Amino acid sequence: MIKTKNLTFQYNSNGDLFHFPDIDLRDEESLLVLGKSGIGKTTLLHLIAGLLQPKSGSVTIDDVSLQTLKNKKLDQFIGKHIGLVFQKNYANRSLNVIENLQARLYFSKQKQNKSHIENLLKTLNILECKTKKINELSEGQLQRLGIALSVVHQPKIILADEPTASLDDDNCKIVLQLLLEQSKLNNANLIVITHDQRIKPMFKNILEL
Amino acid sequence: MNIWKISIKNLFHKPLYTVLSILSLTISIALLISIKQLDTSIQQQFENNLGNVDMVVGAKGSPLQLVLASVLHIDNPTGNIVYKDAKKLAKNPLIKTAVPISYGDNYKGYRIVGTTDTFAKLYDVKINKGKDFSKPMEAVLGYDVAQKTGLELGDTFLSSHGLNDDMGHEHPETFIVVGIYAQTHKVIDRLITTPLESIWDVHNHHSEEDGHAEEQHHHDDEDHHYHEEGNKQITSMLVKFRNPMGLITIPRQVNEKTAMQAAIPKYEIERLFNFTGIGVKAISWIAYIILFISSIIIFINLYKMVKERAFDLALLRTYGASNFQLIEIVAIEGLITSLIAIVFGITLSQLGLLYIFNILGKQYQQSIPSTLELYNVFQIILWVLLVVVVAILFAVIPILKMNVSKILTDEK
Repeated sequence: MIKTKNLTFQYNSNGDLFHFPDIDLRDEESLLVLGKSGIGKTTLLHLIAGLLQPKSGSVTIDDVSLQTLKNKKLDQFIGKHIGLVFQKNYANRSLNVIENLQARLYFSKQKQNKSHIENLLKTLNILECKTKKINELSEGQLQRLGIALSVVHQPKIILADEPTASLDDDNCKIVLQLLLEQSKLNNANLIVITHDQRIKPMFKNILEL
Repeated sequence: MNIWKISIKNLFHKPLYTVLSILSLTISIALLISIKQLDTSIQQQFENNLGNVDMVVGAKGSPLQLVLASVLHIDNPTGNIVYKDAKKLAKNPLIKTAVPISYGDNYKGYRIVGTTDTFAKLYDVKINKGKDFSKPMEAVLGYDVAQKTGLELGDTFLSSHGLNDDMGHEHPETFIVVGIYAQTHKVIDRLITTPLESIWDVHNHHSEEDGHAEEQHHHDDEDHHYHEEGNKQITSMLVKFRNPMGLITIPRQVNEKTAMQAAIPKYEIERLFNFTGIGVKAISWIAYIILFISSIIIFINLYKMVKERAFDLALLRTYGASNFQLIEIVAIEGLITSLIAIVFGITLSQLGLLYIFNILGKQYQQSIPSTLELYNVFQIILWVLLVVVVAILFAVIPILKMNVSKILTDEK
C-alpha cells in the first residue's frame, strides 16, 4: 500500500518546482507512470524510494511516512520494503550472481536463504548462471538478475525506472511480464516509470505526467 | 555474505592494484624493521662485547683505536706498555679487577690473547669443556673459534705472527687446547686465551732464533725469574672499577701522569655510533619516505575504488546499507591490505636479516644474536596503521558527500 500527497520537489532553490499528482495504490496494485524525459519521472521514483526528500508533501508506505524516518532508519526501511529496477542493470562486479543476491539480503537484514535464492533464479530462468561473474552474463541474463535483485528480499514495492528503454519488442514484453509476475508472487505494488508507449496495454492504472 | 566478504572480494577483484599497495607497504615495513633491528643488534653486540670493562689502559695513541684493538679485538694495538707500570696502577683501591692482556699472534685469523684467569670473569664465561689454562702454551678456545676451526680438547696448533690470518710466518711453538668456553655472544667467543707467559715465550724464542728482537714483543733472553716482570711488556690492561668514582678520577690520572693512555670503552663506542648512526638515520628516512609513498598509493587505490564504484556503493545504499557500512567496506579493504603487508614485511625483514647476519657473522668471526625488540616492531606497526588510517579517512570523504539519487540518475 502506497500513498503520496501533494508532493513537490525542487533541485535547488532557484530551479524549477516539480508538482506531482497524488498516487494511491492498494496492495498488489500496479501503476504505469508515463511521461516525456525531463518531466521529473525519475525524481518522482526517487521520492517514493526515499532517495530524495520532497520540498513538501509526503510519501506513505504501509502507513509509515518516509518523512518521519531519518538516516539509518530510513536506509533500513528502504532496503527492506523497496526493490529498484534500473534501465541499465548493474550489480557488484567483484561478486558473482548468488553473492550479489546474498549481499542484497545482508544489507536489508534478511536471512540469506540459499534455496530461496535458487528458486528465484529458477523462476527467472538464470539458475545456471548462479556462480558466474557479472561480466560473464549476457544482456538478457543481466536484466533478469536486475529483477532478481529487486525482489529477492520480498519487498512491498517494486519501482522500475525505464526498465524496457533499451530492449526490443520481444524482450520488452518478457521483462514486463517477469516484473508483473514477481510483484504478484511477492504481493508487492509495482510502479513502472517510462516513456515507452509499448507497455501501455499491460497496465490498468496509468498516470500521465 | 557480509561486509568482510564484500571487502575481500573487492580487494581481489582488481589484484594488480592490491598487489601494488601490498608490495610498496611491505617494502617500507621490511626496511623499517630491518634497519631498526640491525641497529639495535649491532649496538647491543658492541655493548655486549665491552663485557665488564670500564676502562682500558694501553700505549698512547688514539683512544678509539685502543678500545677497538684491546676490547673489541678488531683493530691493531696502539703499542705496548710496561707490565710493571700497569701493575702499579692496578693497586689503586678504586680498581676492582685489572686484567693484563698481551697479543700479537693468531691462529687462522682468531686472535691469541695472553692474559690471566681473571679475563674470563670480565665476560662471565664458564668453561664448557675441559679446564681453564694453568701452564704456558695451554689454550682455551672461545665458542666460535672451536666451532669454526674444529679444534677439540687435546689438539695442538701453531700460532702465526700478526693479527690476521695471512700476515706472518708460523711460530714453532705448539699450543695445546685444554678447554673450550661456553657461548656468550661476547667478544671472547672469537678469542683464544692463554697465559701471558705463552706470548712471552713464543716471542722470546722467536727473537732468539731470528737473531733480532722485535720492538713490540721484545723482552730479554735472560732468566725470567731474575727479572720477575721487570721489563716485561703487555699490550694493555682491562679495568673494572669498584665504584663510579674510579671513572671520574683514574682515567685523567693515567693520561696526565703516566706514559700510558686510558680510554673509556663506553664513551668511545658511543662516539663511533655517532658516526655510523648517520647511515642508519639515512636509511630510516628513506624507509619513512617509502612508507609515506605507499600510504599515498593506498589512498589512491581506495579513492579510485570509491570513485569508480560509486554506482556500486550507491546501489548498496538502496539495499539498505548505511553510510557507515560503506565506510566500513573501504576501511576493511585498507586494513586487510596493511595487515597482509605487515605480515609480509616482518617475514621479509627476518629473511633478509638472516642473510645479513650470516654475512656479518662470517666477516666478524663471531655469531651475532639478532635482537628484535617488540617495542620497536609495535612502534613501526603503529606508524603503518596510522598512515593507512589517514589514507582511509581521505578516501571515504566522497562516501560522506554521496548523493545516491544523483549517482543513480547520472549512471543511467
